[in-house]
Amino acid sequence: MKYSEIIKLNNDLEGVINSPEYKIVILSNIMVHQSKDICEYLLRTESVNAKVLLGEYDNIVQDSAKFQDANAIVIFWDTYNFIDGFQYKAESLSSPEFESIVEKIKTEIDLVLCNLKDIPLVLINRFSSLIFDQFSLSNNRINKLVGRLNTYLEEKCGENVKIIDIDKVISRLSIKSSIDLRYYYSSKTLYSIDFYKKYFEYVKPIFLSTTGKIKKALIFDCDNTLWKGILGEDGFDNIRIYREVQYLTLQLAKKGVIICLCSKNNPQDVDNVLENHPDMILRDEHIVVKKVNWSDKVSNLKSISQDLNIGLDSLVFIDDSSFEIGLIKKELPTIKTFQVPVKEYEYGLMMREVSNLFYSPSQTKEDIQKVKIYKKQLQRSEDRGRVGNIEDYLRSLGLALIVHVDDLSQVSRIAQMTQKTNQFNLTTIRYTESDIKKLVEDELKTVISISVSDKYGDSGVTGLAILDSDKSAIDTLLLSCRVLGRNIEYKFMDIIIDFAKNKDIRVLNSQYIKTIKNQQVSDFYERCGFVKIDEVDSSSQYNLHVENYKNKDMKYIRIENGK
Amino acid sequence: MENRIKKVMSNVFNINVDSINNESSPDNIENWDSLKHMNLIVALEEEFRIEFDDEEVVDSMNYALILNILSSK
Repeated sequence: MKYSEIIKLNNDLEGVINSPEYKIVILSNIMVHQSKDICEYLLRTESVNAKVLLGEYDNIVQDSAKFQDANAIVIFWDTYNFIDGFQYKAESLSSPEFESIVEKIKTEIDLVLCNLKDIPLVLINRFSSLIFDQFSLSNNRINKLVGRLNTYLEEKCGENVKIIDIDKVISRLSIKSSIDLRYYYSSKTLYSIDFYKKYFEYVKPIFLSTTGKIKKALIFDCDNTLWKGILGEDGFDNIRIYREVQYLTLQLAKKGVIICLCSKNNPQDVDNVLENHPDMILRDEHIVVKKVNWSDKVSNLKSISQDLNIGLDSLVFIDDSSFEIGLIKKELPTIKTFQVPVKEYEYGLMMREVSNLFYSPSQTKEDIQKVKIYKKQLQRSEDRGRVGNIEDYLRSLGLALIVHVDDLSQVSRIAQMTQKTNQFNLTTIRYTESDIKKLVEDELKTVISISVSDKYGDSGVTGLAILDSDKSAIDTLLLSCRVLGRNIEYKFMDIIIDFAKNKDIRVLNSQYIKTIKNQQVSDFYERCGFVKIDEVDSSSQYNLHVENYKNKDMKYIRIENGK
Repeated sequence: MENRIKKVMSNVFNINVDSINNESSPDNIENWDSLKHMNLIVALEEEFRIEFDDEEVVDSMNYALILNILSSK
């Protein structure tokens, strides 16, 4: 977000947060006035009623005595401005001159720490020589001095002081983007706008931990999030556990972060992995709430927050699907979301960024016990109402079904879908390519394949129905789990019924053949208005008087012809 | 471009976009002090992905001049 937008939004947030003012004073020996709006904005968006005041330029010692009512103090103490032009004068000073400066700074550190000992939170940046030392091979004077001062600072600082490694922030951005030397030379303004955004984002969890706004629960999707692969499709033996992510999560759990699952899967499948998969690091005992079902994730996340009795703004949610992430961002914007990176090797770093949100200054016995405490607390019903406004979100997606009929060019993909799709598959009849080719060429069979597109992209061919006019029956109906949760299946049924009408079918037959993986669709035909006429062992027979079919009228899903 | 400049100015000085005209300057915008001026410059640099040189920073003392400088970039 651009600086001027931050200023605007920050102004809009002024005075509207209903909590006590949280006063932060920023002391510095350089100009840092652009930090004010950025710091306030980042905290106000987390419902901290932050008010930032700036100390006078180069008045750290005097100001440290002045703001005794501050909730927090941040200190930008720039090494190169200990004296004017220190970056080029340091090597030319005589030893006594240099040492007198060192002693002066040490005395000032003592004074400042003493003055601030009653302030609840003090952030002080480690002294840094990175900017002007970036090309230096030798360990020069300033470089050594910085080391000494940092050691001194660490020894002297009390419990209320957090020493911030500012070089980390600079490295993440690059030195070039972190500073603006033009303004350093003209007005002692060292850091760039981008730097302040990164800096305050980085230290934000410290403020949140002291204001009770810290994140408390970390919620994972399962497929392609805790492991590579789709459990319901690829199977127990073919998923690959994301071990680094799980190790890092386990460390969080041990610190008292509440770990939960929110996944569209069969609960017993996921339980089986938690219990029996040899590579898993996370086990059932580490998970506090499991919402493993076929309900929408908005309802599930709301219900997790209710079960745990913590606010939605305490939740962090990780999922691989841009659909799910988009849904949560829109419907539950206070939940912090992360999408699993496309490049798997970036996932470990992302998890470290996530971990930082759960910063806690120290660990208590209660933290370690937390999982147990929460688990006891939880004895509530799993079932809570669905959310009405999912439809609003779906409407915003610009969904379209692209319908292909008897398309020879798709034969291999269609055969592959019948081979691989397990969960949303009513009959689970497996066809080879040559089977499909025959069906496509058979006048009495209609092979309808669909792809789904939305504003995030095109799913490719992900759904299939085979209509048998000879038997007046739906022979095959399947959808890839990638496109579920969008009411695509109902729109698809509208399309199938239209085809049936065109083929003069009056009573359309269908069947559900139960497998270990397709229980989520066991009542799908009934949900579409079919009537069950027979049930033998694992298969149920249905029929539908086509003229009685009620079109679902979901106008937010467009239908397009493939060609 | 005019609209984008006015938008940035309105955000930085917390004033209405419509109140900005060619004569808008520190003389008639109460909020436009030396610190806010730096904020404005930095915000404009970010918005238009350009850099002001020292003289331009000093010269950008009313809306018309800012427009003039940015148009020449």
